[in-house]
Amino acid sequence: MTSAKAIYAKMRSSIEEYDEDAAAAAAREALEAGLDPVEAVEMGFAGAIRELGEAFDRMEIFLPGLVMAADAMKAGVAVLEEALEARGDVLKRKGVVVLGTVEGDIHDIGKTIVGAMLQANGYEVHDLGVDVPTTRFIQAAQEQKAQVIAMSALLSTTMLFQRDVLELLRNQGLDGKYLVVVGGAPVTQEWADEIGANGYARDAVEAVKLLDGWLGEQAR
Amino acid sequence: MNLKEVAKRAETGPLMEASNFVMKRVAANVPRLQKEYNIRWDGQTLLNLDDDLADRCWAAGKDLLLKTGVYSMNSRRVIEFAAEEIEDVLRFVPSRVPLGMGKDAVTVHHRKVEDPRPPFIFGGPFNADVHEDMFVKLNEAFAQERIIDCLLFPGYLKELDGLAIRPGSGLSSRAAILYGQWSREAVRRAGRPGMPICGHAVMALNEIACTSEEWGLRATDPRAMVLISELQVDDVTMSRTAYYQAYGCPIYMAFTPLVGGYGGGPDGTAIVAVASFVAAIMLGGEIVHIGPQHIKYKQQTNNHSLFLGSLANQAVARNSHIIGTTSHTTAGRPGSDQYAYEFSALALAAVTSGSNMTGPRPAEPLGFNDVSPLMARLFAEVGHAATRLTRQQAAAVVEKLYEKYRDKLTFEDAPIGQPFEQLYDLDTLSPTPAHQSLYEEVKEELLRLGVPLS
Repeated sequence: MTSAKAIYAKMRSSIEEYDEDAAAAAAREALEAGLDPVEAVEMGFAGAIRELGEAFDRMEIFLPGLVMAADAMKAGVAVLEEALEARGDVLKRKGVVVLGTVEGDIHDIGKTIVGAMLQANGYEVHDLGVDVPTTRFIQAAQEQKAQVIAMSALLSTTMLFQRDVLELLRNQGLDGKYLVVVGGAPVTQEWADEIGANGYARDAVEAVKLLDGWLGEQAR
Repeated sequence: MNLKEVAKRAETGPLMEASNFVMKRVAANVPRLQKEYNIRWDGQTLLNLDDDLADRCWAAGKDLLLKTGVYSMNSRRVIEFAAEEIEDVLRFVPSRVPLGMGKDAVTVHHRKVEDPRPPFIFGGPFNADVHEDMFVKLNEAFAQERIIDCLLFPGYLKELDGLAIRPGSGLSSRAAILYGQWSREAVRRAGRPGMPICGHAVMALNEIACTSEEWGLRATDPRAMVLISELQVDDVTMSRTAYYQAYGCPIYMAFTPLVGGYGGGPDGTAIVAVASFVAAIMLGGEIVHIGPQHIKYKQQTNNHSLFLGSLANQAVARNSHIIGTTSHTTAGRPGSDQYAYEFSALALAAVTSGSNMTGPRPAEPLGFNDVSPLMARLFAEVGHAATRLTRQQAAAVVEKLYEKYRDKLTFEDAPIGQPFEQLYDLDTLSPTPAHQSLYEEVKEELLRLGVPLS
């Protein structure tokens, strides 16, 4: 039988090579070898994708690499999750995030990068896409039992809808239920403070740090 | 190829998810084309001097557009083009477009690499947030700078009557109408009633409400559309193009290729940029604006964007008669010398590479009215001076300028500067003595560094 070390190496290289099929196959091999799924995620996939995230930040790899690596990890983790569910367990993630670009705004890349980086760092991310209606953010957060609502706006005219989501949360008595982070070219810390968001992230790296800080504190 | 055909293909082209389009059509093809055409950045060059590289980049960019087409975001279909259709549009795209009217009429034209003719200057608030109380004064101050050929994007009216403006709302229609009225009033006050105004009021269909021959933006005023990165277009842009084209307005089409995004590094993204230049004219653009974005930086004066812009502009200038213009956004803000050093570096690279000029503006304005008409004058003067330089000469100055600001390109490190109302006497609309001194000191330094300012 293949050793755990060899299986973890296969899992790792499947991420580095952006290979969804290889990631799923390596995950199945880990299960067949009797490895613990949670440990397999950490030892096989997580390190590799974190390193790719860092390489992306240094511009040694680019967005397509990060997206493909995140997709490969998703394919591998899905296999392990299925095994966990079969035994009545769930894979513990750092947190669940619903993410999207606000209503009236069709800019996609910024929030895609944030989503890929959050996934690479152990978050479950539900990408709602672009031009997301205000009510949809809240509905999705409820459906996915999210801890975080993340909203991007690239235009100074559409950032207004970030405010509306927060106002709607307050009106629905959901104030404080979700951590809300805002970002995008015209968005600033002052705007985040003004509308009552929990935080502002200038880029994907800051978003990860911010969420790690929040959800780490909650865990303590 | 015309808008009717483009609109038809947006309804009938291959159906696919946006993620598949950018990953399978754009991201998958760029590395192959980079290899096939040998498009590489050496990691050092700020201003491309290699004509053969520019020509290969042109060929690679056209090839990329053939493989990708343009994605219609709302119908989720790909607008595909045949090679002969692209060549046909390239043959007939105008090399000169008249703008404005009467004694204030001007012509924007295609430029060649190291073209001795002065670049066309699109200058103005460049979509900085502008407060309603300051709108006319600020635009008048830009319009009174005679070296500016066309008033550029008179500013986002973010608030009106004390309310934030929601795109598409009744309030935003009222804002669009006032935008037209106040922009026209500003150029009238400056004594240039027929000065062209490049309009881009809000990213919503109702911005067309700014149009009126009597009091607003006219058929002789160019209207700006923005493609979404990479190689994507939405219904609002298509609809605005259809309306403005029918009305007779010149179409100013912008695109913003992302370094570090689906095109990869600056070399791969230069291929995407060339493809986008061509895509813009396929969709009806007559003046095409390149505004590179960057995964780490928000300004366009970093080393990657300088190289990418110079390469893509040269590719287009050498191989077509597309009228190109380059966006200039900076980390430093008005009221700081860094602002001028940054836009000067980019202007020298862009103008010697065959581009016209759009800007300048801080990439991250600090609040309302964060622009300076006096700095726009200097920007234009540097652009005119650049016509007296070869690329080689300009490259030497660009390197010296880049050294001055390279360590201060982040939001935190860049100088804060001051907004318009602190840089100008609002009664006389003239620069404050301190701002005038800054202009003169920076000009002296630019001369010392080798910019042949007159």
